[in-house]
Amino acid sequence: MNLTRRRWLWLAAASGLAAGTSHLWSQSADAVPPLFVDIPPSKSGISWVHDNAFSQDHYLPETLGPGCAFLDFDNDGWMDIFLVNSGPSDFWKPTKPVRNALYKNNRDGTFTDVTEKAGLSGTQFGMGVAVGDYDNDGWPDIFVTAYGKCTLYKNNHNGTFTDVTENAGVATLGWTTSAVWVDYDNDGRLDLFVCSFVDYSGEHKFGCGDNKLGKRYYCIPRVFKPTASFLYHNNGDGTFTEVSTGTDIAKAMGKGLGVVATDINNDGRTDLFVANDTVQNFLFVNRGPGPNGGWKWDEIGLQSGVGFSESGQPRSGMGVDASDLFGSGWQDLFVANVDHEMFSVYQNNKDETFQDVASANEVARSTRLLSGWGLKYFDYDNDGVIDLFLANGHPDDMIGGYSMQVTYKEPLLLFHQGSDHKLHDVSDKAGPIFHQDFAARGLAVGDYDNDGAMDVLIGINGDRPLLLQNNAAKGNNWLGIKLEGVQCNRDAVGARIDWSILGKKKSCLKSNGGSYLSSHDPRVVLGLGDATKIDQLEIHWPAPSKQVDKLTNVAANRYLRIVEGKGVV
Amino acid sequence: MWKPTLLLFLALAATAQQSPQALVQDAMNRQKAGDLEGAVKGYREFLKIDPKATPIRSNLGAALAGLGRFDEAIVEYKKVLRDAPSSTSTRLNLALAYYKMGRVADAATELSRVHREAPTNQQATLLLADCYLRMDQNKDVISILEPVEKTDPENLAVAYLLGTALIRDKQVEKGQVLVDRILRNGESAEAHLMLGTAKFGVADFAGARDEFAKAIALNPNLPEVHMLYAQTLSVTGSPEESMKEFKAELAVDPYNFQSNLQIGAMLRKDQNYGEAKKYLERALQTRPGDLGVRYQVAAIEISEGKFDQARAHLESIVKESPEFTEAHVSLSIAYFRLKRPEDGKREREIVEKLTAEAQAKQPGVKSQ
Repeated sequence: MNLTRRRWLWLAAASGLAAGTSHLWSQSADAVPPLFVDIPPSKSGISWVHDNAFSQDHYLPETLGPGCAFLDFDNDGWMDIFLVNSGPSDFWKPTKPVRNALYKNNRDGTFTDVTEKAGLSGTQFGMGVAVGDYDNDGWPDIFVTAYGKCTLYKNNHNGTFTDVTENAGVATLGWTTSAVWVDYDNDGRLDLFVCSFVDYSGEHKFGCGDNKLGKRYYCIPRVFKPTASFLYHNNGDGTFTEVSTGTDIAKAMGKGLGVVATDINNDGRTDLFVANDTVQNFLFVNRGPGPNGGWKWDEIGLQSGVGFSESGQPRSGMGVDASDLFGSGWQDLFVANVDHEMFSVYQNNKDETFQDVASANEVARSTRLLSGWGLKYFDYDNDGVIDLFLANGHPDDMIGGYSMQVTYKEPLLLFHQGSDHKLHDVSDKAGPIFHQDFAARGLAVGDYDNDGAMDVLIGINGDRPLLLQNNAAKGNNWLGIKLEGVQCNRDAVGARIDWSILGKKKSCLKSNGGSYLSSHDPRVVLGLGDATKIDQLEIHWPAPSKQVDKLTNVAANRYLRIVEGKGVV
Repeated sequence: MWKPTLLLFLALAATAQQSPQALVQDAMNRQKAGDLEGAVKGYREFLKIDPKATPIRSNLGAALAGLGRFDEAIVEYKKVLRDAPSSTSTRLNLALAYYKMGRVADAATELSRVHREAPTNQQATLLLADCYLRMDQNKDVISILEPVEKTDPENLAVAYLLGTALIRDKQVEKGQVLVDRILRNGESAEAHLMLGTAKFGVADFAGARDEFAKAIALNPNLPEVHMLYAQTLSVTGSPEESMKEFKAELAVDPYNFQSNLQIGAMLRKDQNYGEAKKYLERALQTRPGDLGVRYQVAAIEISEGKFDQARAHLESIVKESPEFTEAHVSLSIAYFRLKRPEDGKREREIVEKLTAEAQAKQPGVKSQ
């Protein structure tokens, strides 16, 4: 067995051999709890396993899933879990039942499978999930993307869901991947953007022949035709209208895999950043109402510097995210690519342009041989600055057979932002789970045990999901906020939270989407470090009201429900 | 390798301090004794008296080349060849000066003429083959060396160059025969370098890396071995080691094109633009006008906010190479940053057109 350096260090540390190797390893493994701990099915009760429909023919959809989500479907204040599975398709007929899974949080660290009762088993070859309260009734609804047809499940408030896809008008045929709920026109209702991947509609699925091992392999998406993504406007009556026709969204032929809804120019309108595989990424800037009652979107990926690599080449973009990484008050972006392309950390230049600073942040070096999918910028240790979690895995299951460096299963990566305002790879010291390899795909963060530390859920292709409990935030204080819009969209996507502690001001935008095929806990957790209270907290609700709710002397280490115009309730 | 043409020459003119004959003799003696600066001075003094003395000018070129002042040597050799175009030895020296500067294409031009005029000159033949190899003109290497290999099968230098070219040309079995011949003579750096090249060609980067490492252990001065090792280290995920090896190549051959280009590109990615430019400028000296290097320089200019400079460079690049998609991408960015959106959009449309054309050629598109 070949041991990587990291694995060796971990084993050495666990057996007490690595004294002096690093600060952490100078102590026994027992004395240094891992930052994230894998909660096995025997403990969590999550026994569901993803079926990737693997075949010797290697149909490309087999290797792209699954997505996953944290959501509170029963509004009991505890995060439940939704997992997307494959299913029947024009290239695969399952010989045994294959279904999605909804796990109810039992509030004691365990979960119960309630899929059948909820009516969420699914009938399609599922890909990803986007959770949002599109009808503003206070209950989260679920949109599932697929190779085949998307499905919209409306929450019935009683533990069950109804498939309303056809009536809603969001069936979306083809091959869809990530999706995001966003109120792009600030009318107080969540609209829906759906990434479309490639045209895989050929009657006889295209194969790329045999690889160096003499076997069929997963085609590089470069060989397939690109497609345009979809934007659905919420009509407010349970139906949607596809509104991308005539806009840059319809003109932009891509191979979308990841999308994040954020505001890159601080104009109060939510923009969309789409990661494409083998063609340029798209940055759709929301310019507001356009001519003839339409909406104006400018695709500025190329000129903004996020469309291509710095060498002018398209990369294989998969996972994305947005956050005010450097505390500038402006949203920075992230894209995960395939091996040898390195991932991108795009710093916002505050003028609708970006600069890739991955090299200066240890990200380029650490990701050189990896392929990234699910990811999230978040403050995992609640020290008040944004960090980064990456889930990786190569799409080609045979890559290890002809590459000496790249493997199919790859390690997770954790980056901590230091006082030098740079991301540092701390995976070596983060625990044994970072010394194992996975075919990781979707990733969602959420605080399933309500301890204020964001946990991580990762969908694994052809395997059980990983539920990683966060131990890294112990000792730091925090404040959890559940925002509830009244005039604005109920999920308050687009709200800005400003807070100050001892005169030091901070800010965060409630973006939506990001990662890959996945949906996060909708609550916001602010890391306070050693501060025990927030001096001033302001919620800047998005349009149409744009009102501001202010709170003072907010005590730490609890979740607050803040309602637009009412404050804490 | 330097072979100065040391000819006796009787000058007609004289100076107050020293006769022309004595001046030349003194310069030649100094050159033989290794006092190249003194020789250069003497030859220049004499050439003031008789600028048409081509053999002395040729000697001057050799002395300058010996000092590493290749630019000046080339000027002198060219003057000699204007007056005596059939001087094979001077042309060979000119080629060597180009070769030493890394101006491989210029060296090959001169060497091919020497090879035509003196086909039995083995030094010229081998140097020409080496130039072709460095320019990836593998079929040309094979064309000039296959006849030599038939008449001189034990010549290991020929076996090395020809074998490498065959392997790079995907004629691996024929190349392997020559590798085996080298291996029969015991383990050698050349054999490992050839094996490494073969493995690199089939994307066995780790295998190639190990072969190049063995070649370096046996002969760290083998041309291009550090550069090749560095390339494998780069793709196997050791950027720092790769940089170190590219620099090791430059310690052996400061004008190695690939090493200068790759270091420049790596430093650019690290946003160390000042240092990057130094290496890229050296690469441009080696291959003036190389589009890849000029693109790197323009990309740095964009990163530094020198958009107008970048624009000028990129406009000239896309004029020479209209299908250089990456250059159109960067030119579009430059125009947008210069607040010339219409030009930016025009370039973006070119990018889209080139991308669509490339996409249309993909096999999966045709099958649907």
